Amino acid sequence: MEPPEYEAAAFKSAEKIILRWDSTASEDARERMIFDGDRYEINSYLQAVDDVQRSIESTTLSDDQNKASSAIQIAMARLEDEFRNILLANANPIEIDALLDINVLNLNQSSLRTDSSSGDFSEENLNESGLQDLGAIDQSRRSSASYRSMLSIRELDLVPMEIVTDLRSIAERMISAGYVRECVQVYGSVRKSVVESSFRRLGIEKLSIGDIQRLEWEVLEVKIRRWIKAAKACVRILFASEKRLTELIFEGLGSATDDACFMETVKGPAIQLFNFAEAISISRRSPEKLFKILDLHDALFELLADVEVVFSSRSAESIRVQAEEILSRLAEAARGILSEFENAVLREPSKVPVPGGTVHPLTRYVMNYISLISDYKETLFELIVSKPVTGSRYSEDLTTPDMDFGEVEGQIPLALHLIWIIVILQFNVEGKSKHYRDTSLVHLFVMNNVHYIVQKIKGSPELREMIGDFYLKKLTGKVRQAATSYQRATWVRVLHCLREEGLHVTGSFSAGVSRSVLRERFKAFNAMFEEVHRTQATWTHIESGRHPENYIKYSVEDLENAVLDFFEGNPVSQLSRRRSG
Amino acid sequence: MPATDYQGSSAAHTTRSFFSLRSLRRDQVHSMDSFHSTSQDQELEFFQKFVAEKFSDLSANKADEFLSLSWVQKLLNVFLDCQEEFTTLVSGNKRYLNRAPMDRLFSEFLERSVKALDVCNAIRDGIEIIRQWQKQLEIVLCALDIQRTLGEGQFRRAKKALIDLAIGMLDEKEGSSSVSHRNRSFGRNNVLKDQKSMGHYRSLSWSVSRSWSAAKQLQAIGNNLAPPKPNEIMATNGLAVAVYTMNNVLYFVMWALVAAIPCQDRGLHTSFHMPKQFVWANPILSLHEKILDESKKRDKRAASGLMKEIQDIEKCARFLNELIDSVGFPLNEEKQEEVVKRVKELGLVNEAIKQGLNPTERQVREVFHKIVKSRTEGLASSG
Repeated sequence: MEPPEYEAAAFKSAEKIILRWDSTASEDARERMIFDGDRYEINSYLQAVDDVQRSIESTTLSDDQNKASSAIQIAMARLEDEFRNILLANANPIEIDALLDINVLNLNQSSLRTDSSSGDFSEENLNESGLQDLGAIDQSRRSSASYRSMLSIRELDLVPMEIVTDLRSIAERMISAGYVRECVQVYGSVRKSVVESSFRRLGIEKLSIGDIQRLEWEVLEVKIRRWIKAAKACVRILFASEKRLTELIFEGLGSATDDACFMETVKGPAIQLFNFAEAISISRRSPEKLFKILDLHDALFELLADVEVVFSSRSAESIRVQAEEILSRLAEAARGILSEFENAVLREPSKVPVPGGTVHPLTRYVMNYISLISDYKETLFELIVSKPVTGSRYSEDLTTPDMDFGEVEGQIPLALHLIWIIVILQFNVEGKSKHYRDTSLVHLFVMNNVHYIVQKIKGSPELREMIGDFYLKKLTGKVRQAATSYQRATWVRVLHCLREEGLHVTGSFSAGVSRSVLRERFKAFNAMFEEVHRTQATWTHIESGRHPENYIKYSVEDLENAVLDFFEGNPVSQLSRRRSG
Repeated sequence: MPATDYQGSSAAHTTRSFFSLRSLRRDQVHSMDSFHSTSQDQELEFFQKFVAEKFSDLSANKADEFLSLSWVQKLLNVFLDCQEEFTTLVSGNKRYLNRAPMDRLFSEFLERSVKALDVCNAIRDGIEIIRQWQKQLEIVLCALDIQRTLGEGQFRRAKKALIDLAIGMLDEKEGSSSVSHRNRSFGRNNVLKDQKSMGHYRSLSWSVSRSWSAAKQLQAIGNNLAPPKPNEIMATNGLAVAVYTMNNVLYFVMWALVAAIPCQDRGLHTSFHMPKQFVWANPILSLHEKILDESKKRDKRAASGLMKEIQDIEKCARFLNELIDSVGFPLNEEKQEEVVKRVKELGLVNEAIKQGLNPTERQVREVFHKIVKSRTEGLASSG
């Protein structure tokens, strides 16, 4: 136990140092910063603070409690300024290249559809990243997810270690003097603005839900793509690094200060980040949006594990919850869009027949769409869990086809949806065929379109597997049937030229066949024969890209636009009837 | 119809009225003499009365509860309840949704709802701002902790925090906020150097762009809000009235939230015109007037939200500031007592805010979710 005079002297000299640095009292103290100076000065100041703090805690200087607490307050105010100053001097946002680190972004490649490598986290990948010890890894799904996120998270050094040490030495003293709140405030305000400046560099915008609603989907697609990259960088690098910084400075100093500082820093930005994805998840559903929504869903699904790790504390619950909510809304949106799409296929209303009975833009659009769906098979397999809503075979509703689920038992729901889409496409096509006045075109149209469907299915192994042989057979049967009907219809017309009636003229000149009528008939026969022959020849060439209807560009483009408008939820413009069947 | 028993008065948590459209319909199924058309009229009348009573309850509060955090929670509950009833009403009448003029009226309602979502987000930001102020209060309370003897040091600390609080609340008025940026301690007369860097920190805290305006958003929600014409009422079997009612509920609740809670570019000039013949018009209009009266009472300079706790913060802070400026050391007994008194008051305000902010934030999110849900379902049925 030190003698009281020694303690009083120690206090006096400590107080002197603290008062010397009182910025309210001297110009010099205002102009200079302790931590910009030499190490000796820094250390003696910190020592002085410790001495005063000790004297407050001891009972010997009870008469001078006021002096001591006054000195501490001056010291704390000073340290707060020093703390802020150091933080400001080291407030450089992370370089954009480090943020868009290609390794971190492409860790799970399932979201990059053009990449041929497997999306799974295979043993080879692990070895490539230089990991030796796989023995300790628990095989259960949950820990493998957190293990994967451990790898994808990249913590950068935001601030040099000597600076961290200085900051920690200040924080320690502020916290033990009971000034933790001031410390957290200063830390949060400086670091938050650094994060916000990184946000700007990443191109993260402050868009309201109204702003997003007003944007064209093509513009939004670009923003979504950018957001996915930015979100990965934010969660895995930016936020993770900030978290590490708070841990380095505040860990072990009590009252969960590190967590409080982390939340002060990132809560606002994190909410701003997720607000964009939330706005997308609640936007109007139209078929064209499906694939970008799935991309966004996949990205967020991947990120969720990292979000859980980075935002693991109780105070971060609202952020975790929001991310989960958005994910489930995106899933709902995907399901809803698929329904919308099915409805749209069924109700697509264009009545203008395609010239020549060739492939309708609707058929092309739908088949392209479901080919893309089969590309997104893995995701959709998880999301689509119920059967499509179909018509009942006992209902009298003639506007909806029915589907017999008996024949497709055991198929996954996604496959059922695809089959259903084909069923209603066929139904719609047959409905459209009836708008041709020429019977042969009715059948030619059905034939061409269903044939196109068949070819598309055969051309994609995934699609073929999901549609299944049963329906494929049904479709090819339909093609054959339509072909037969077409042939019959056309040749009947041709033969009709050679009919008996009208050939014989009753009248004064001759009782036999009218030569002129006969001549006309043969002319007609020849012309028709040629036409039919030509048409049937072009039919076999339909797949090699010769589109005879191209010389009547205008009306087909009209039709295509009308179909696209319909699927994009835009008002459909009136089509002009250029050619009737 | 039995007297309705609304649990509006003191419960701050979500309560569902036990008497609702669902129960009305259930009763009618069992009653033998209900015709479809009269039941529709009854439902409509019920809905409007429901709305009227909910808003009357909001008015009936004690004077010191009006516009408090718990009142705001009740307001949010009222919205949730009305939206629930509206959804029930509409879901029983889906066949009208695809026909004119209901399709247009309903889709207009859905559009207004979407605009309300941005208001919800702005309110969430505002709650965060209040949270920052509350943290400043905690510093003051920590400094003037009456368990210890109060010396000059503690007062300086409290004063510093009060100054930061004042700056933070002023920032908000100018349409941005960053209370947590504490100013440098340059003595009691706070000469602020570095105004530029402070300004830089100020503009960064809202989650929407600087051009977003709560006032404009409210205007957009209330735009073209006209009572349904007689032919529209006929053609929709009265549903048009329900839609008009819900539109006004949405509009008023959003307006009241913006009035109470700080957000970017607040403005209370939007007006409400509903024909008095609607039974809920008076309750809503009288609340509107009450709130406008409050705003007139307030000091023009301190134009942050009208919420009672915000007023309390300003009042307590002002008293404490004056007190601190007037004390000499050592404190005489009279001053000592006054400090204790003011600190206790501040403690109560702090507690109220601390307890109330998180539940309020959760409720705002609930309102957000409910609007999204009803919109998704609405778009699906009318599609």
